[in-house]
Amino acid sequence: MPHTADLLPGTLDMLILKAASLKPLHGYGVLRRIQQISNDALRITQGSLYPALYRLEHQGLLTTKWGESENKRRAKYYTLTPAGRRRLREDKDAWHRLVTAIAAALAATPDEV
Amino acid sequence: MFARLRSFLNACFRRDRFEAGMEHELRFHMDAYVADLTRAGLPRSEALRRARLEFGAVETIKEECRQSRGLGLLDEARQDLRYALRSLTKNWTFSLGAGAVLALGIGANVAMFSVVNTILLQPLDYPDADRIVSIEMVRTDAGISSRGVSGADFLDWQAQNSVFEAMAYSVDADGLATVASGQAEFVNARRTSPDFFAVFGQSPAAGRLLTSEDADAPVVVVSYRWAVSRFSSAHGAIGQPLTVYGRVLEIVGVAAPGFEEPGAAEIWVMAAPPASTNRGPGNLHVVAKLEPGVEFGAAQVQMRTISDRLAAQFPENRFQTATVISLQDHLTGTVRLTLWVLMGASLVVLLIGCANIANLLLARAVSRTREMALRAALGAGRGRVVRQLLTESLALAVLAAGFGLLMAYVFLQGLVALSPVDLPRVEDVSIDMTVLLFSLGLSLVSTLLFGLAPAFQAARVDLSEAFKLGGSKGRLSGGSGRWQSTLVIVEVTLSIVLLVAAGLLLRTFQVLHEVPLGFDTDRVLVAYTNYPATNDEAYDRRRAFYLDFLARVRTLPGVSAAAGVDFLPLGRDELPRVEYLVEGEPEERPGERPTAEYQAITPEYFQTLRIPILLGRDFAETDTEDKPGIAIINESLARAAFPSESPIGRRMQVDGGWMEIVGVVGDTRWTDPKKPAPPMIFTSATQGFGGSLSILTRTPADDGALANTLRTMVHETEPTVPVRFETMKGLFAEALAYPRFRSQLLGAFAGIAALLAASGIFSVLAYFVGQRTGEMAVRRAMGAQPSDLVGLVAGQGLRLVAIGIVLGLAGAFAVTRLLQGFLYEVSPFDVRAYVGAITLLGLAATLAIVLPVIQAVRIEPLKALREE
Repeated sequence: MPHTADLLPGTLDMLILKAASLKPLHGYGVLRRIQQISNDALRITQGSLYPALYRLEHQGLLTTKWGESENKRRAKYYTLTPAGRRRLREDKDAWHRLVTAIAAALAATPDEV
Repeated sequence: MFARLRSFLNACFRRDRFEAGMEHELRFHMDAYVADLTRAGLPRSEALRRARLEFGAVETIKEECRQSRGLGLLDEARQDLRYALRSLTKNWTFSLGAGAVLALGIGANVAMFSVVNTILLQPLDYPDADRIVSIEMVRTDAGISSRGVSGADFLDWQAQNSVFEAMAYSVDADGLATVASGQAEFVNARRTSPDFFAVFGQSPAAGRLLTSEDADAPVVVVSYRWAVSRFSSAHGAIGQPLTVYGRVLEIVGVAAPGFEEPGAAEIWVMAAPPASTNRGPGNLHVVAKLEPGVEFGAAQVQMRTISDRLAAQFPENRFQTATVISLQDHLTGTVRLTLWVLMGASLVVLLIGCANIANLLLARAVSRTREMALRAALGAGRGRVVRQLLTESLALAVLAAGFGLLMAYVFLQGLVALSPVDLPRVEDVSIDMTVLLFSLGLSLVSTLLFGLAPAFQAARVDLSEAFKLGGSKGRLSGGSGRWQSTLVIVEVTLSIVLLVAAGLLLRTFQVLHEVPLGFDTDRVLVAYTNYPATNDEAYDRRRAFYLDFLARVRTLPGVSAAAGVDFLPLGRDELPRVEYLVEGEPEERPGERPTAEYQAITPEYFQTLRIPILLGRDFAETDTEDKPGIAIINESLARAAFPSESPIGRRMQVDGGWMEIVGVVGDTRWTDPKKPAPPMIFTSATQGFGGSLSILTRTPADDGALANTLRTMVHETEPTVPVRFETMKGLFAEALAYPRFRSQLLGAFAGIAALLAASGIFSVLAYFVGQRTGEMAVRRAMGAQPSDLVGLVAGQGLRLVAIGIVLGLAGAFAVTRLLQGFLYEVSPFDVRAYVGAITLLGLAATLAIVLPVIQAVRIEPLKALREE
């Protein structure tokens, strides 16, 4: 079992948007994709995915369409809207700035203080 | 933003589809995960277990999904509503009582508001109605009030103003004789100047309206209502002949439906051009339309300037000022305050009703303490509890408003039936959209009024206390009793104010009813006729007809006296005023001489109305036209003109003719019961004075039984003379219509208010006794006498009533000044009204106190303690 980490608050939305940006996915697919692209390093309570999906759809960042799954069952597919794409870019930039800043702060050595 | 709204609305209105979709989606996820796990080698049962565990609580997730769509509040509201309805049906006695009080209050208010809305608030139904004004000539010196305008003044106004687009006048001729399709009847005619219809922006329903070319043409325009009732359609009336006052006219036009200006006009004919010499008070009603963009105030200023200039120029105009009033104010002037006062009174009744319900809710909150505590213990926030209780109140108010609307419909019928006949636009009063919105707003406001305090009170429940007490009764944290007492005091205060106001109006009505008129209104039948005559020969024929007719009426069985008079009493007609000059006294210039009211009568007039002849004699059939003119004067005139000697045999000049005074009679309040008798001069119809007469007959009973006989007698000799009957009593009742309307309605409101206040006192005391049953039982067991308990309960009640009465009296002192204009010979501080109000409320309160006292005395100590 690889090392896993809990999600930081607010990052789930970003990961969902990222997952759905590659191709339209159903809810379970979004979960699998996040686990896959994070190499199973992130722990997500499966159920908590849905309120987030509904919220993003409500905000107009995702759009949904009923379609057929790989095993021939009806499933709801989530796609990124232009607004969702914009949001993903902004979140990504903000995340990178945060990570850089925190990394820089943690890398500080005694003589730099 | 738009996307969110759409997503919310989709979720709301396609709720089933939303739920089904969510269900399917979550199941798909579970199935897919279970499939993946079994593929990885787990046994199916283990896979299911793990999937469920890792997925989390399905219902919680669903709820969170709903919340993310904004459905949370909605669901809670729905829950509250369902709960509220259940709670209302469970406590149906409370719901019924509170609902009835509210429905009554809202119903009364909605009915009152419909009247106010139609008459005072809705603009008149004319194009640019806000630019139409009425211009009156107000006389500023003491004694005479006249609003009519003279011809010369009108011409000057028209020539000198620059603020009006059009100015026109009309002259009223109510009850004019007409003959249409062989039928004699009365018609309300108006003689108008050419621009009259233009001022109102009117176009005809059929044919054409009057123009300046119609000056002498025999044409007439009729109202839509009149045309339809005679010829069944507007077009059917065009071209038909109509004999108006003996002259055959052709109907050339029908006015638009609903246009009946001024007053209840039925036909319009062109007026002769106004006389340019005649100044001073006149009989023209002037209307005008403001130029677009001209302010009302500017028009007022300019008209005042013009009338001041005329006043400086002509002695007849010395005391006259032109006043511009909006047409709506002109029409509603006298009823405006009446309606607002009644509206205010009905709102006060609703307020008292709300206080009553708030009290019931406060008492009920106590019995629900455990319920609220339980809800709080299960995690309901305070706001949540308040919201739930307010939903309950709102449900009650909305249901009550529904019933209130039905009641309003019934009240409205009664209100219209009670209202004075000349209440403007009263036939248009209806429950429209504005009224519906008003009643909705009213129920929301009442909800807050009666629901807010109890809701907060209930939400302030102390958990540990509530559960410690046990039993279902419970007790609220302090302050609830104070609230209830305050509400009762407010109820008593407001009721006292209403009772005093109603008392003052009732006293006024009573005083007016008993004011000595100087003539006897009992058992006098009044036959109003209109006999057209326009030349000497016709005048003679008319006089002969009336004298002959009267002679025959006097021979009818049961008739003890009969006479003719040319102006109807008690507000129906205004008597003409003439200047007089007493022979031998210093001659003042015309315009500065004393005046008296002037009336032509036949012999037996004083006998018919039981007016005493103080000096001299009555007129007689033998006082014919070829004899020197004679007159009878009343006491007031005798006192004013002949202070120290007998007027009999003296001569006075009126309108250039000399008349010898042959009699002095008692004073009468002929035109207005409120005004002291004016000086009067009577002339005799046998000498050719007066025109069409109304026949007064003293009959054995007040039933109008003679009417048909008289009608037949008129039509046998003169088939084209219309006749209409009334009783003198009826005329008197009509003259007091407004004071009666005001006192009846305010009396009803005050009565309801007192009842509500009494029931408020009762419920608070009953609650007080209920709460302290245990304490009282202990007192009894320890040897307290029943009288001690009486003191305890009655004392509590009397204290509230006393405070309420004192505050109410103070309030009445402050408020009844508003009613000053409605009072007649009754001071706003009339002791009887105040004592009456206190007595009535005191009686109601006593009853409300006695019942709980009996309840307290009947407590059986042992039984009560066991139940505790």
